[in-house]
Amino acid sequence: MPYPDRETFQSFLDDLLGMRFDYLEIGIPTEKPYYDGPVIRRTHRKAMEGFSFQYLKEVVHISRSRGKKNYALVYYNHFHEDVDGFLDKIMDSGLEGAIVPDLLTDYYDEREYLSEEFRKRNISLIPFFTSSTPDKVITEMLGLTDGWIYHGLQPSTGIRVPVSIDKMVSRIKSLCGNREIIFGFGINSAETISELKRYGADGIAVGSSLVPYMESNDHEGFSREVRMLQDGVYD
Amino acid sequence: MYSEQNVDIIPEKWYNIVPDLPEPLPPPRDHDPENSSIDLLNRILPKEVLRQEFTSSRYEPIPQEVIEQYMQIGRPTPLIRAKNLERFLKFNGKIFFKYEGATVTGSHKINTALPQAYYAANEGVQEVVTETGAGQWGTATALAATLNGIKSTVFMVKVSYEQKPLRKKIMNLYGAQVYASPSNMTDYGKKILAKDPEHPGTLGIAISEAVQYSLDHDMRYLLGSVENCVITHQTVIGQETVKQLEAIGEKADTLIGCVGGGSNFSGFTFPFIKTDVEMIATAASEVPKFSKGKYAYDMIDTAGILPELKMFSLGADFVPKSIYAGGLRYHGAAPALSLLIRKGRIKTDEVGESQSLEAFKIFSRTQGIVPAPESSHAIATAINYCRNPENQGKTVVINVSGHGLLDLSFVRD
Ligand SMILES: Cc1ncc(COP(=O)(O)O)c(C=O)c1O
Repeated sequence: MPYPDRETFQSFLDDLLGMRFDYLEIGIPTEKPYYDGPVIRRTHRKAMEGFSFQYLKEVVHISRSRGKKNYALVYYNHFHEDVDGFLDKIMDSGLEGAIVPDLLTDYYDEREYLSEEFRKRNISLIPFFTSSTPDKVITEMLGLTDGWIYHGLQPSTGIRVPVSIDKMVSRIKSLCGNREIIFGFGINSAETISELKRYGADGIAVGSSLVPYMESNDHEGFSREVRMLQDGVYD
Repeated sequence: MYSEQNVDIIPEKWYNIVPDLPEPLPPPRDHDPENSSIDLLNRILPKEVLRQEFTSSRYEPIPQEVIEQYMQIGRPTPLIRAKNLERFLKFNGKIFFKYEGATVTGSHKINTALPQAYYAANEGVQEVVTETGAGQWGTATALAATLNGIKSTVFMVKVSYEQKPLRKKIMNLYGAQVYASPSNMTDYGKKILAKDPEHPGTLGIAISEAVQYSLDHDMRYLLGSVENCVITHQTVIGQETVKQLEAIGEKADTLIGCVGGGSNFSGFTFPFIKTDVEMIATAASEVPKFSKGKYAYDMIDTAGILPELKMFSLGADFVPKSIYAGGLRYHGAAPALSLLIRKGRIKTDEVGESQSLEAFKIFSRTQGIVPAPESSHAIATAINYCRNPENQGKTVVINVSGHGLLDLSFVRD
């Protein structure tokens, strides 16, 4: 955020806040969003122009006042040089926590340190796992964090390669016990969502599939897309 | 080798090491920020192959049809005690070798060509395309395609095409169309030929041509090495070895294999990962990816059509010396293998051409089996290892990834 610009972003946020969902994932724009597909990568570049922490704070404030919990999606490569300063700002903006998709793959040795920095500030580090996260790493991260878990369905956002949803969900559930698991990355159909739900997903996250409506300023299409996806969630 | 006595040695599942790695496997990345090369894989690979590439499952059931094909091409391959080599080296431990040269195409490559061609045919694909360096992979693809009733096209690195005419003949015999790469069949090949009509070719260029050709003609591309699903398929080697050692009451202290893209070595060793066995991966000194390569994201193919992988690499535009072990000329090594080397779980060695030639001769004269030039590198490491007094008494297992009967033109005396 804000994509494509503050004004448009805010008008879609208003639409969204009237709909049924629990968590708002707010992307903090960065130069190297490695685990995002072409659509989200495009939004990062544009959103950097309009981003500020003051603005983030305003957005979180609005969203909180509507009863939503708010989390940042932020790459470690964006803030690893100033962890203290950055996390202070995250805390100050009223976010509940953050998802850091490149922590385990690119900064594995810093996982304990970063979890501790989050804990000190009483914000949640949301563990981000994918099919290629080893069992032992998952178990260890569960010990270092609390709160829900984000699981990537696809190797990056906005793309779709074949996956066995049943095997993927049952594997992560067997490792995560009762922790709430939310699936994201490449989800763009109600069928995928109901399948995820059938095997035990607690929630889903969408992003790429909404971007085109924001680009063409199509509020009607945007709401239709959200309702279509919600058919899979609340069927 | 065609008897059915030992068929229960063939595993029923392939083993995927990813859930058991000490750290997450770095995912593939796009080379071009505007496009998704991961998404493009949907148009390049058979669906089931792509699914297996990113799976979280530790085991993948081997289809019954593929198990039958494994039996037809000579699996299980033998595990043989190299007693003559032990005597020659005055080694008082034991040396075994797993002999992948006993398959009908003469190397381990058929272990993954069969399932990939099977899945392609199952999905209604009419023709598959691939590249080949030394010719082993192309031969395996050609046979796997015919056995599954589909056609194949192979882009063969030009130097090998010229050095190894018999390889081309076998591929043609199995029904494959073979082109010397760089070729005029793809835009990328044409571009390279325009700059240098005498370009000897590299594996990176041949991969680019094969991928582009499959996209241009809506065919599917078969992966010869490097990618995770290939390694998963190759674990038939190590799983058989585990059972064969168990059957004779032996326990390996050390496993040794050669590394091109890393498929035979990883397939051989990964099923042992939970034990404390020592593992040594041998590359060619002329392609010093372990000692001089960087552990970083790099391109798989020279044109950068496929996603980048984090691996030990000399750079996709590295043009290696034209050593005889064509299969070891690749610039990178599989990500899971690279990670385990980085973590110190797997040790490495690099062996030069003259040393590997010496090992080739010793092995031929002691065991009678003519090893592939690639495999000879592993044998050279094993010979040095067994000559080191510290290693007396150990049980060493070498993966002899192929035979060298079609590579004999390089033996001068
Ligand atoms: C006989 C033989 N061994 C080894 C290799 C190296 O490949 P990899 O490291 O994938 O096993 C090749 C590749 O062409 C080969 O033909």
